[in-house]
Amino acid sequence: MQITLIIGEDEKQVEVDEGKTVKNLLQMMEIPVETVVVKKNQSIIIEEELIEDGDIIEVIKVIYGG
Amino acid sequence: MEKCHKCGNTNTIVRRKQSGQILCQECFVESIQEKVLKDIRRQKLIEKGDKVLVALSGGKDSVMVLHILNNLRNRRIIDLVAVTIDEGISGYREEGVRIAAQNAETLGIEHRIVSFKEYVGRSLDEIMSDSNDRNACTYCGVFRRWILNKVAKEEGATKIATGHNLDDETQSILMNYLEGNIHNLTRIGIRSESKYEGFTVKIKPLREIPEKEIATYVLACGLPVHLAGCPYAGDSFRAKVGVFLKEISKEHPTIMYSTLRGFDKIKPVLKEKFSQKGSMGVCQECDEPAAGKICKACSFRLSWNQ
Repeated sequence: MQITLIIGEDEKQVEVDEGKTVKNLLQMMEIPVETVVVKKNQSIIIEEELIEDGDIIEVIKVIYGG
Repeated sequence: MEKCHKCGNTNTIVRRKQSGQILCQECFVESIQEKVLKDIRRQKLIEKGDKVLVALSGGKDSVMVLHILNNLRNRRIIDLVAVTIDEGISGYREEGVRIAAQNAETLGIEHRIVSFKEYVGRSLDEIMSDSNDRNACTYCGVFRRWILNKVAKEEGATKIATGHNLDDETQSILMNYLEGNIHNLTRIGIRSESKYEGFTVKIKPLREIPEKEIATYVLACGLPVHLAGCPYAGDSFRAKVGVFLKEISKEHPTIMYSTLRGFDKIKPVLKEKFSQKGSMGVCQECDEPAAGKICKACSFRLSWNQ
């Protein structure tokens, strides 16, 4: 299935396997879960949320080192 | 589908790893506001009639402090003034200053923007272009504290509120412990306890709120915040300790709370044994509090003229 992934200014279409969660997606991209807040279709969600075909997933980096 | 543990709503936004609690947006925002206001009451951080200076960088933590303390201002319990320090970090600070002003204006809170250039004579960029021996955080920390204290007196503020969160505070505890700075440990706490009248009392209303919950709160409330990392923070010791604590928190989600609770228990003993009593005087240059004849800020400033 295909989703829209937005990270900062960067927006792209990404293929994701069925049954994957937002947490799985973040791990695949090596983004530490504890440093981001994720929106699915413009609403904040828990990272254990399942991804569905056509979702717009926005990853907002909120925690920086230092 | 998992439901909010308070109201049953299925649109949940937070799973608190430390307690297992799952909350929807409305219940999460309410629970955070209640927790911070309860901590303020319980720890007696604020008294009726206080004029509180909020150190407002425009980042998520200080914006949240401003908005929550505005509840007390609206109830005419306190007066508020927001102060943004422009350190002079090109390409980074401008956006924070703009967002800070936007938040203050929306709430109708008096806002002052003060700069390193105006108060100490040099921007942080200028200081760093001429310095090889210290990292930027050392200068920035010393001058920010010095300026905040000065501006608090200019404004007649009785408290200075900062956005230090649970992650910041446990980092400070661990850093000072690892470095053996036991004297510094005695100064960590939810409010500064200096008896010296030249210091305005500093309070940390978000000391028990995890950093990620603060980020979730400001995004859930739709507050404008400056989400960017300081270009000077980079590879600091604090950053390394922060990464370690976040990593270990994955397996041990309550570790920051236990670090904080344990520290608060031993702090009275540390203070008794290691606090430098009666050593505070007045800086010969600026009349601000100083441990020796000259305060740290003035010793840096004087070194530039030599």
